[in-house]
Amino acid sequence: MIEAKAVNFAYHRGEPVLNDISCKIEDGEFVALLGHNGSGKTTLSRLFMALLHPRSGDVFVDGNNIADLEPADLAHQVGYVFQNPDLQILEDTVFEEVAYGPRCKNKSETKVKEQVGSALAAMGLAELYEAYPRTLSFGQKRRLGVAAALALNPQTLILDEITNGQDEQEKNNMMAYLEKLNQEKGITIILITHDMNIARQYTNRALVLHNGDLVFDGATATLYDGKSELNEWGLTQPIVATLSATFGVEAQNAEEFCEKLHLKEGVVQ
Amino acid sequence: MSEAVIKFEKFYYGYINGNVVLHDVNLQISKGSFTVISGPSGAGKTTLCKSMVGIIPYYYGGRYAGDVEVLGETTKGKRVSDLSMRVGLMLDDYESQLVSLTAGEEVAFGLLNHGFAPEEVATRIKQALADVGLPGRENYQLDELSGGQRQRLLLASVLAVHPEVLVLDEPVSAMDPDGAHALYKLLYKIYQEYHMTVIVVEHNINFLLPYATNMIVMNKGKVAAQGTFEEAAAIAYEMPELRQNLPELWQVKLALENRFGIALGAWRNEEDALKELQEKFVGGGL
Repeated sequence: MIEAKAVNFAYHRGEPVLNDISCKIEDGEFVALLGHNGSGKTTLSRLFMALLHPRSGDVFVDGNNIADLEPADLAHQVGYVFQNPDLQILEDTVFEEVAYGPRCKNKSETKVKEQVGSALAAMGLAELYEAYPRTLSFGQKRRLGVAAALALNPQTLILDEITNGQDEQEKNNMMAYLEKLNQEKGITIILITHDMNIARQYTNRALVLHNGDLVFDGATATLYDGKSELNEWGLTQPIVATLSATFGVEAQNAEEFCEKLHLKEGVVQ
Repeated sequence: MSEAVIKFEKFYYGYINGNVVLHDVNLQISKGSFTVISGPSGAGKTTLCKSMVGIIPYYYGGRYAGDVEVLGETTKGKRVSDLSMRVGLMLDDYESQLVSLTAGEEVAFGLLNHGFAPEEVATRIKQALADVGLPGRENYQLDELSGGQRQRLLLASVLAVHPEVLVLDEPVSAMDPDGAHALYKLLYKIYQEYHMTVIVVEHNINFLLPYATNMIVMNKGKVAAQGTFEEAAAIAYEMPELRQNLPELWQVKLALENRFGIALGAWRNEEDALKELQEKFVGGGL
């Protein structure tokens, strides 16, 4: 469980980035953290794993105040995948990269191979285990970052814009795997994203930040009912959601939407 | 068919020690078109881009057969610098293409390397920075510019040499949706103003629906569809594994046309689509 209580944050000599944020994320939730560029999403998520510490207020991870903790203290509880995958790459092969975390935790080589194997398979990177990470495509590097976090079996995964630069198929594969992880293993997932379709399809709860304020905390589905101030918060309604709301039907994708329409009388076929 | 600025004929390519990634590619890009290249990851889109600007085969080597003609000349035996005056390239990892300390020096880099006179360089820097919405920023340090501004600066440095063809490989992959919309809007304005040929590789083709005149859909190293945007979209829709690479509005349009046997308009934005849908359909079917 992660809890923020009246958290305020600003970088050195800078404007306030987070204003009096309070929220609680229970174990097993699948949460979207939304907001325009510069709204404070990444900053808030970094407080959740002690990469940053609040100027005032408190952040608790499993009941422990992070005030005296460092990221390494939380590494076995909270996995973090950075927006820029290049920042996370340390090793010379894909296998070694993913094995780095489990080895730091003194896992046996058999266990390391098992955990790395399943994390790479989950991210569709099994065939690239010998590749030099810097030669991977942008999308593959992102998936490598997720695999490295997964190999540590954390209770919570924080994923910063991991679907950027992926094609639809890769996005859906990755999200389907994360959904399975959430449902079957109860791993808490906090997904920082601009992709409103992904948030709509996969997450149950959404937190929206706007200029450092928490302006929405509720069921993701209610964000798309046409009443919330999405535009004002710098967010875009997905096309299928707009069409569905206009025609009063429920549809997750273009195909489902089309199945729920019928021609008006008099329209020439 | 209008004049082709880029022509691939029976082109095959494999990287050194790698599998063949382009298979029997035959395609033409018309002068003055705004062509989007779409397709799943690993389809060969980036390799195609590199072949258009001469990086393949000059820089990468590898194995190839067939021919690529750019502006009437084969790329075989050409150095990248031979083509860079006429074909500009902007990569997805834009930071790796920035090499100078200030915005003015960055734009000047390519011009000075091509031997332009200092007065001409100064004029072109001023114009290029103004074109991308960074007027008067010649003396700004690169770290004083935001990510979006650095991306526009890179566009300025490519534009400053006045290329006839501009190739962009996923230029917005690291940007948020607002930034992506803004960059493409700017690109379209420049395309119209300078009558260039623009080629863009893009995963999220929704961004380009208002602008694309032509489309190439790649799949597994081959050209799966090509033609005007409308023609290529209709062909790609017939292949279920490629439907997701079409703009969402066109997935709706083509699905409805197939299902009801009607013809709908060539929607280029949400307003067009909503208007026609409301005229012809009601919800709650099935």
